Amino acid sequence: MDEHHIPEPQAASVDEASPQAEAHSPEEPGNPPSAMGLPPAPAPPPRLDDYGPVIGRPQIDELHFLAEALRGKTVKMVNSTAVGGGVAEMLNRLVPLLNGLEVNTAWEVIIGGNDFFEVTKAFHNALHGGDYSLNQAAQEVFLQTNDQNRQRMKFEEDIVVVHDPQPVGLIHARQAGAGRWIWRCHIDLSNPHPGVWEFLRPMVESYDAAIFSSPSFARQMEVPQYLFYPCIDPLSEKNKDLEESFIQKICDDFGIDRSRPVVTQVSRFDRLKDPVGVIQAFKLARKYVDCQLVLAGGSATDDPEGAVVLQEVMEAAGGDPNIIILNLPPWCALEINALQRASTVIVQKSLKEGFGLTVTEGLWKSKPMVAGAVGGIPTQVIHNLTGMLVHSVEGCAYQIRYLLTHPELAAQMGKNGKEHVRENFLMTANVRRWLLLYRILLGVR
Amino acid sequence: MKSTPLQTARVPFYFNSAAHLLLIGRERANTLGELLAALRICSDDSIFEHTFRTLQEHHFFQQNFSNDFAHWAYNDCSEIGLGEKLAALDVREFTSIESLRQRIVEIVEEYLRRYSQSEHRPARKPFYFCAADTVVLPTAFSARTLQEFTGALRQVPLTSIHYHFIEARLRLKLQSNDFSVWLEESLGLPKLAAFLDRIDIYTSTLEGVRRKLVRAAEGLHLE
Repeated sequence: MDEHHIPEPQAASVDEASPQAEAHSPEEPGNPPSAMGLPPAPAPPPRLDDYGPVIGRPQIDELHFLAEALRGKTVKMVNSTAVGGGVAEMLNRLVPLLNGLEVNTAWEVIIGGNDFFEVTKAFHNALHGGDYSLNQAAQEVFLQTNDQNRQRMKFEEDIVVVHDPQPVGLIHARQAGAGRWIWRCHIDLSNPHPGVWEFLRPMVESYDAAIFSSPSFARQMEVPQYLFYPCIDPLSEKNKDLEESFIQKICDDFGIDRSRPVVTQVSRFDRLKDPVGVIQAFKLARKYVDCQLVLAGGSATDDPEGAVVLQEVMEAAGGDPNIIILNLPPWCALEINALQRASTVIVQKSLKEGFGLTVTEGLWKSKPMVAGAVGGIPTQVIHNLTGMLVHSVEGCAYQIRYLLTHPELAAQMGKNGKEHVRENFLMTANVRRWLLLYRILLGVR
Repeated sequence: MKSTPLQTARVPFYFNSAAHLLLIGRERANTLGELLAALRICSDDSIFEHTFRTLQEHHFFQQNFSNDFAHWAYNDCSEIGLGEKLAALDVREFTSIESLRQRIVEIVEEYLRRYSQSEHRPARKPFYFCAADTVVLPTAFSARTLQEFTGALRQVPLTSIHYHFIEARLRLKLQSNDFSVWLEESLGLPKLAAFLDRIDIYTSTLEGVRRKLVRAAEGLHLE
């Protein structure tokens, strides 16, 4: 076994909001901007006070107050990958913010061999409801790697947070009376493989608390289960405010005519995102309202179906000059941001969804949403208030038409949506949740 | 007690707020029948979460959002009549969770008596009962005079407005709120206290409620 192998990130239900794709320009129209060829150097993470203009000074003060009683307390976050994937991305932002509040937070990554990560990948799929035959060998590989990491790591902190199933067995390192242990589950456990879940359950139930991203993901367990929504960072390239001139430049580069309404779906080319359904809905809507459709996405590098779906999308578009298909590389966060901001209506017509962070991103940009009523989307798109929930191509077409012809209602929904995100789905809301949970578990009310 | 708006209170008003962390409950409902059964046994914290607390979470909606039960009945069960009846509940009429729970149960029971076919019809998505773990937080604001009170009202976080103006009834067991009680008892301003108490929280955003509170207090102060 290769003891020092750091694995490729495994798919997690923390949505990958950015399309994961190979650099590949669409056949037509719109060539990608030249700067898209190389990934940019990562920007330093923001400090808490940088969020003041976004959430307001009283909220920043509240975070400082919540942290005050925790000053000097120590926290360790443990997950299975340092780079790539939604969990690592989130920890990259969260850990500096908690340290900035003087809640000393360390982040460690477990080490495992290919055999371990093959088992955990299979567990991941099985926990999402896939078929799997759990055998003794897989259980031993899982427990042995957790045991090796347990011996390698120290757990002297006041709080230990273990993310996802891979390191869940670290709980066996817990000393009686020492520290509080939290299991943060980022995946959907609503329909787990019974064998795998029963194998993991005793470990999960040894924690002091579990955290899920949706009530529907939780299990019936004795351990208290908290709800932390996935979140976006309003200061990231994907979500920060942009100069109008930059938005215009991106539209010019991609051949988008801003004198006409723009309907956009940002999602990887995956059948579950129903890009072909979006094209059908757009074509129905366009019989009544002049508009353009932008489908901006990519295909995950480990998803062989992506290229096939992209081909299906091109065929469905049938060379319509009003449909702009953009196959973007994964580091095009600024371009995605600009496309969302240039949109009149944003669509997320998913047939199945985790939480749907692309919806969060759209709402944050004050855009009215038309979205499939699946997964975590109805938590974000409150029908008639922050957008329209739809269940069919025809419904999607009608709501696109309706919003394009009722700009005042669309603007009000966009405004509501932004506030909904500000209240519930920003990184700072999660910092608040973490601080609250620490206080509750440590008895610091 | 006779008083003027310029009076200084002996006991200052300390603005607090509350931070809530959502706990996922054991109960869930796929039908109205299951909702009714769960309503009878769920924790008080669950009733609080889905009525009082959800108003705070959705404070930016000017209309059409009253409580989670109404929203679910209307949108996920397509039981428009029940949704309207539940949405008409004004949490400020209840000074205990038990009485609020009882009223919700009565509304659902009555509806199912009239429309028994609705009892077992599956909803589009389940209703998940949650509850909130609460931490009360001080803010930097306090007031001894009406002027200071108005100034602080303009600046406190909205969570503080919710805490004192809406949640307070459960604490006080009175059909009033912290602001009105202090204005009446410490500054001797019963008319202003009564006026504030009549502000409609269901046709305004919480920011709108703040503006109305400030306008009312400021109006009196300027007099």
